[in-house]
Amino acid sequence: MSDVIAAEWLKLRSVRSTYYVLAVAALVVLFGVLLSIQGVTYYDQASPEVKARFQAIPLEEYFLPFVQLVVGILGVLAVTSEYATGTITASLVAVPRRGVMLGGKVAATGAVTLVMGTATIVAVFLTGRWIIGGRPFPGNTAPVADRLPLLAAMGLSVMVIALVGLGLGTLMRSTAGGVVSVVFLAFVLPSVSTYLPDPWKGRISAAMLPNLPGELAGVTASASSITEGPFARIVGLPPLGALAVLVAYLALALGAATLRLTRTDA
Amino acid sequence: MIEVRELTKRYGSATAVDRLSFEVGPGRVTGFLGPNGAGKSTTMRALLGLCAPASGAALVDGRPYASLRRPMTRVGALLDASAVHGGRTALNHLRWLARTNGIAQARVPAVLEQVGLAGVARRRVAGYSLGMRQRLGIAAALLGDPGVLIFDEPVNGLDPDGIRWIRGLMRDLAAGGRTVLLSSHLMSEMELTADRLVIIGRGRLIADTSVAELTARHGRGVLVRSPRADELAGMLAEAGAGVTADPGGALSVTGMEVDRIGDLAARNGIALYEVTPRGAGLEEAYMELTADSAEHRAITEGGGR
Repeated sequence: MSDVIAAEWLKLRSVRSTYYVLAVAALVVLFGVLLSIQGVTYYDQASPEVKARFQAIPLEEYFLPFVQLVVGILGVLAVTSEYATGTITASLVAVPRRGVMLGGKVAATGAVTLVMGTATIVAVFLTGRWIIGGRPFPGNTAPVADRLPLLAAMGLSVMVIALVGLGLGTLMRSTAGGVVSVVFLAFVLPSVSTYLPDPWKGRISAAMLPNLPGELAGVTASASSITEGPFARIVGLPPLGALAVLVAYLALALGAATLRLTRTDA
Repeated sequence: MIEVRELTKRYGSATAVDRLSFEVGPGRVTGFLGPNGAGKSTTMRALLGLCAPASGAALVDGRPYASLRRPMTRVGALLDASAVHGGRTALNHLRWLARTNGIAQARVPAVLEQVGLAGVARRRVAGYSLGMRQRLGIAAALLGDPGVLIFDEPVNGLDPDGIRWIRGLMRDLAAGGRTVLLSSHLMSEMELTADRLVIIGRGRLIADTSVAELTARHGRGVLVRSPRADELAGMLAEAGAGVTADPGGALSVTGMEVDRIGDLAARNGIALYEVTPRGAGLEEAYMELTADSAEHRAITEGGGR
């Protein structure tokens, strides 16, 4: 198994798409920096009354769906690029036990996306904090140490969405299908769910991937005042419930992928 | 050692392989022949565990491929040379393959050298010609130094030099005691490379024979031209040969070898202008054997078969 994981790691390292994803992740951090500078500039020039009413979504919360989308695509490509190019045949001839092949892919892709997702989120957070400095922006004043569980949970959620993308990519054997799935999970469904009537709005939104990290880290209320659309962060599940939902996402996508891979011809 | 036993594979209502049985032994090159759509690739995919047969078995060294530990050290396969991620270099492609089977990384430059790709190993495969990709596919097959080799149409896209190289390689591999199964839809290619032939059509076995046997069985006799053809025809017929006169005045002689025809003519003082064995009937024999099983065929003149 360790040989298979090492091989999958080599595969990820030896294609350009991995570095493209890395570059886009860096771009997300850069946008975070620009947004922080804009916020700070506006704040510094504002009158005291405006300053008192000043609202700011914590950057790491605002950018989480972007990071999920970008790194999630890496998970999709890890498998669909093989179907697109035919490399899957070589993979299955080299490792004919298909569950092992998929397991190696999941392990390598999981490790890479966990590191990549966490690093991106932490970078967005730290650069934002550094630019904001001592200004009392709502949601951006908690001590750094207090936010660490949330940041870790966010990194975890990025890995989960990447592995769900890997699973759905295996299921559909299509890059387009896999990428659309990730867009739905990171943006469309979390957005649509906020327009549902109560109590469904709360129930469904609570299980959306961008909302799970907050719940997992025990952040009881979002600092965001946005309550509708893709950037509304709605919390409703206890940490263990959020963990169960995260695991369910993984189990469903990877379970379906395993069945597809082992029960049908390559 | 490859064993295919009563192998059947269906795609929907179409039967791609129909109760196919044959064995491929070590120490020689076995040609796997059949028209397009005969089921060659499906059989090879079943051998490699890529598709599951409806019934029957395809075994390598007596076991299903999927149950082999480090399968690339037992079986090397080239299926579709173009099925490589174009963004990866040849070096990296072989490195990950070697890693999956615990093959020493030192084998990678060795096989690249062997197939003549050492100079372009660090270039992306997207820039490779089909011939270069075939060589890369062969390098991948040889990576684990396996005892069984399976090649699906390896000469496709190769230039004459490359084709000659492949022939030599196949023969060397077989001479080293390996089992070599080589598919093609071209008899002319097999004639020069293979020792044994497994011919299939519409998923069924048509012939399992040696090249020599097939030539003998389907030889078209000897073409003889002589200024005294009529006299000669009588003598040859008397000596037990089958003789028919061709429209051009030449004779088609069957059941008698070139040497005896020459001796007989000399003894009777008859000059011979030409004595040509029509042994090249292998291609024709193959066409004849597979005539009823070609999957796709243009309607010939007159619209009939």
